[in-house]
Amino acid sequence: MSDREFFVGRYEKLDWKYRPVKLRQAVRFNCFNIGGQDLVSRLCGLGLNLEKIGFLSSGYWVCDSKVSAGATAEYLLGLYSIQEAAAQIPVSLFSNVKGKRVLDVSAAPGGKTVQLADAMGNTGGIVALDISKQRLTALVNHLERCRVRNTVVYQLDARNSPKLGLKFDRILVDVPCSGNFASDPMWFQNRTLEDVTRNARVQREILMKASECLSDDGEIVYSTCSLEPEENELNMDWALHHLDLQIAEINCPGAQGLTSVFGKELDPSIARCRRFWPDTTQGFFVCKLVRRRS
Amino acid sequence: MKGKVIVDFALQFGVKLVFNDDLLFQCEGRFFLLNSNVKSLVRDNFFYAGIYLGKVRSGKFFPSFNLLSMLIEHECNRIVIDRKTSWLFICGRNIFRNSILQAYGKIRQKNHVLVLNELGECLGFGRVLAGFEEQQDNKNSVAIANVLDIGDFLRREREHKNRLDIKQR
Repeated sequence: MSDREFFVGRYEKLDWKYRPVKLRQAVRFNCFNIGGQDLVSRLCGLGLNLEKIGFLSSGYWVCDSKVSAGATAEYLLGLYSIQEAAAQIPVSLFSNVKGKRVLDVSAAPGGKTVQLADAMGNTGGIVALDISKQRLTALVNHLERCRVRNTVVYQLDARNSPKLGLKFDRILVDVPCSGNFASDPMWFQNRTLEDVTRNARVQREILMKASECLSDDGEIVYSTCSLEPEENELNMDWALHHLDLQIAEINCPGAQGLTSVFGKELDPSIARCRRFWPDTTQGFFVCKLVRRRS
Repeated sequence: MKGKVIVDFALQFGVKLVFNDDLLFQCEGRFFLLNSNVKSLVRDNFFYAGIYLGKVRSGKFFPSFNLLSMLIEHECNRIVIDRKTSWLFICGRNIFRNSILQAYGKIRQKNHVLVLNELGECLGFGRVLAGFEEQQDNKNSVAIANVLDIGDFLRREREHKNRLDIKQR
């Protein structure tokens, strides 16, 4: 059995039928930099036509374009970022981030870090971590382009985040993951279940260490762009049993998290997670965690 | 004074910047301006923090676009260019006299000027090649040499991608 058949077979066991998808390009406005101007009209004047994404506050589909969205003066001025639609969801799930102290554990290339800074209006402070210096270079270029002012960046393995000796009100655990076939045409050829299992283990370690940095009334948003339950629902089930966390309700589109995975019954609260099977967006999984209330 | 090199750079635009030394950090030749919130998050080994102002390499100062944006908030040497020239400038081209819509400050030979588009957004900066006044009769001559423009972000992205490609090969 090829890897493709193996993974497609798994998806069918999870009640989703595989079909090739064509992703739509999306952008996110950096409202802090835009001020009051009408950026939709301005970009339309360049031949970049946008349509509002209903479930996002500042996300737009690129309908058609005579210019590359990544090569306009407006992009270079940091007025908008190119960011996949589903990838814009995790940051939007935090409540009230203005003035807060926020940790972004696997930050590069920085799309979500910039989104956080924008949502915070450059108030409070963000600590952004990534293990790779090369990826950090991309991150800091992104921060400079988008005029981010409230972020401190460290080259640090996310599993060492407690070493900073800081507590955070909000923590974004957008973990390194196996990805999905919608955003990587060679995904089925390059991925094995062993990769998935290994990534899931690292993700648990990152989540465990991040949770040590969470303040008592803090919030964690956990996300992956993987479709594999080991990296998603099964990791959340593990977190409920091993960490002092519970899953919060979220107001978000997408399918409910799976509570039965390959014959294993999971905690019913995992239905509060959201799973995005590939369609106009890539595959995605998101969950909001808070400290367990006694 | 920690930020002398930055203060000297700003003076070339006719701006006197003053920094609080407690909030100005230097790391491997790069300068960062922090506020108290961000400062509380800084440890010894940070990679980037707060507002990046620029870097010194081989004794020369390279400003960031954040710093240029800070200069706009003051009365400084600046020119406003038309829409077509804005894109050419972003692509690294120099500016002809006849593309300049407005000019403010001391536009004298060798001075630095911020280059703004018609909406007042900073696209970069250039060096005045010859006295602005003396060129009134020669509108087709190059007036401002491009020193730094926001197209630099694209060049950095391309360079980064090339480096990754080489590494993956």
